[in-house]
Amino acid sequence: MVILETVLEATWEHIVLVYTTLFVSIAVSIPLAFAALYSKKLEFVVMKFANLVQAVPSFAVVAIMVPLLGIGFTPAVVAIMLRALLPIIKNTYIGLSNVDPALIDYAEGIGLSQWQINIHIRLPNAYPAMFAGIKFAGILANSVAVLTAFIGSGGLGEIIFQGLIGYNTSTLLAGAIPAIMLAILIDLSFTMIEKKVTPGYMKG
Amino acid sequence: MQSKRLFDRIDSIQFKGVTKKYGSVFAVKDLDLEIQGGELLILIGPSGSGKTTALRMMNRMIEQDSGTVTINGLDTREVDPVRLRRNMGYVIQNIGLFPHMTIGENIGLVPKLEGWDKNRIEKRVRELLDFVSLPPEMFMNRYPRQLSGGQQQRIGLARAMAMDPPLFLMDEPFGALDPILRKQLQKEFVKIKNEINRTIVFVTHDIEEALILGDRIAIMDQAKLVQVGPPEELIFNPVNDLVADIVDAKRKFKHMDTLNVKDLMSPFEEKYAFDGKMEACDAVEEMTSKDIENAFVFDGEEFLGHVTMIDLMKCRTKAQKLADIARPVKNFQPLDSVALALSEMKKSKEHLAIVMDSKHPIGILVSDEVLLKLI
Amino acid sequence: MSTLQIIANVWDKHLMTMRTIEHLQMFSIALLLSIIIGVTVGVFIYMKPKTANTVLNFLNIVETIPDLALIVLLLPILKLGAGPTIAACVLYSILPIARNTYTGLKGVDEQYTYVAHAIGMSPREALFKVRIPMSLPLIAGGIRIALVFCMGVVTLGGLVAAGGLGTVLQNGIQLYQKDVILIAGLWTGLLAVFLDGFAGIVEKKLHERYGTW
Repeated sequence: MVILETVLEATWEHIVLVYTTLFVSIAVSIPLAFAALYSKKLEFVVMKFANLVQAVPSFAVVAIMVPLLGIGFTPAVVAIMLRALLPIIKNTYIGLSNVDPALIDYAEGIGLSQWQINIHIRLPNAYPAMFAGIKFAGILANSVAVLTAFIGSGGLGEIIFQGLIGYNTSTLLAGAIPAIMLAILIDLSFTMIEKKVTPGYMKG
Repeated sequence: MQSKRLFDRIDSIQFKGVTKKYGSVFAVKDLDLEIQGGELLILIGPSGSGKTTALRMMNRMIEQDSGTVTINGLDTREVDPVRLRRNMGYVIQNIGLFPHMTIGENIGLVPKLEGWDKNRIEKRVRELLDFVSLPPEMFMNRYPRQLSGGQQQRIGLARAMAMDPPLFLMDEPFGALDPILRKQLQKEFVKIKNEINRTIVFVTHDIEEALILGDRIAIMDQAKLVQVGPPEELIFNPVNDLVADIVDAKRKFKHMDTLNVKDLMSPFEEKYAFDGKMEACDAVEEMTSKDIENAFVFDGEEFLGHVTMIDLMKCRTKAQKLADIARPVKNFQPLDSVALALSEMKKSKEHLAIVMDSKHPIGILVSDEVLLKLI
Repeated sequence: MSTLQIIANVWDKHLMTMRTIEHLQMFSIALLLSIIIGVTVGVFIYMKPKTANTVLNFLNIVETIPDLALIVLLLPILKLGAGPTIAACVLYSILPIARNTYTGLKGVDEQYTYVAHAIGMSPREALFKVRIPMSLPLIAGGIRIALVFCMGVVTLGGLVAAGGLGTVLQNGIQLYQKDVILIAGLWTGLLAVFLDGFAGIVEKKLHERYGTW
């Protein structure tokens, strides 16, 4: 039987893991997406690489961290990041580049510099796609974080693995249910943010 | 980032031997043109004539292959393009406003980038909205998609005026509007033009617009400048057949006495008919959604009069019904002579009249400034 | 020992040939089931558009559940082994396939179905001879997504005694044997990327053959 305290502690570890990774992923993805706007080569390389990693089973990605980076929190974050980066970069890039060229032309005409156009025109245009990407990344991160317990990161996966060893149904559920609830929470909260950030003219 | 003002007043803009080629096709060939300070110069011509290219060379959106463009003696190539553009007002046909910003934010964008403080920006935005006849309280926080075409175009102009530039570049600003609305905005623009007293370069393909608005008109065709001069000169002394055709001198003005009202009127569409019992504020919303600025008020079958959207803007202070505000306008028959109709309208200084066929409205006659000048 | 010898050693010791076959077996069964169920569901909600939203929303929720948690949920019902693994795989894969089938069918330009009816095809014939073929590119896209999901879930099966390459990974981590992990991990990754690439080529060919854009 698992004590409530352990579950709460594991849930907390799990949340920290997921959100740290998301935060770092966003911080890395946005500059990359901007850079991809200016360099076709970079865009190509980044997209190809990220697409490739997406096909590899999460468990294999997590496992490979061990020989490369060891065990613990940091390798776990890297493993999750490899999953979470693609949706964020791809969506942000599409959002940034998908602006009506006539609008960009007009912005140049009234005297905006390229950087000002990026900040005031492209970025706001990208918010809906960006947050959709972050939402998707969040769900993926949550799933992979369950697996990283296997390489010593803590989190709800820890409880599930204990349950598997002893084949104890209640332990198993004590780990699985919170993980599912977290997933739903992430989905709902980001959907709400997404709605807020999508201006009326883009809906429907 | 504060850009220093490059010029307070335009004395002259000179194109000297300006050429621009795309591949083997000339967009502009050997253009020599002087734009005088304080005038409204029209650039007109068929598509491909080079008029838009010439305009866009003034703010360096396009760079010429050879020749110079100088403003007050300053070569445009010697100034940072962003700074150059901050010293001009730029108004174009379709996209004038950023959809994700409110009207207030749109108008105040460049001032904000120039580092103005919030209060100064707000004051200026209000000033400009009043200037284009759109009450600030109603419009400052709306989004462009909530505005009609005519309203959007007005905001586009307000935005261009934000930094009080000495020069305006306008590329077919009224092109996307329906004919009645276009004539209305042209009329308002003439008033504005005289008030702001700045140098304006205006591209259009509509000769009527050119004749109404222009101090001088430059006709371009196939990348070359054909003729430049005041409207009368073009009408009465066209340099070649092309100019004469464009100005359409022969057809309309020659047969003016034989034209009937029905030859010149715009058909009366359902959307312009409004019930006299409607409240003024409701009518404004209705007109915005229908993208019109004029309404003809009826009580059942009886025609009461005409209102403009601007008239109704005061609805906030007093609740009024359309029937109270409607002003009577002249009423003509389809077979009446245009010349007579227009002179009557000129005498009573009205620019719109309704055309009735026995009891039913069938058309709207808009006074034609050009014909008026020549009657 | 040279690299090749190391790899050969690990391969034999951990029965990787057998594991690979187990892995692919589970994967194929799961994928096949997913395709059958997914396409059926897709066609169903297409024929009864009113159910579309409810079904898709439900499937969406299933999608957010972490893979391992889903397998865990199925354990009480299906016990350990290949059962819950394949079942979890199918549950995940229904959404992409059903959704793409639905969108694909909807997206077939009305004019083609109009012509089909005009030349005398019954609604059923039109469905099978016109709409479904023209939706194939999108359906293939959905299957490709499901394929990637399935490879992932089957790998996890190793943790619940289903066999497959996940078992080797698990052993490697537990015994902290770096070469085992690397070899098993890279091999799994390679398989997955290869299958995904193959599916991509099929998708592209279908686009060229049946796509109208």
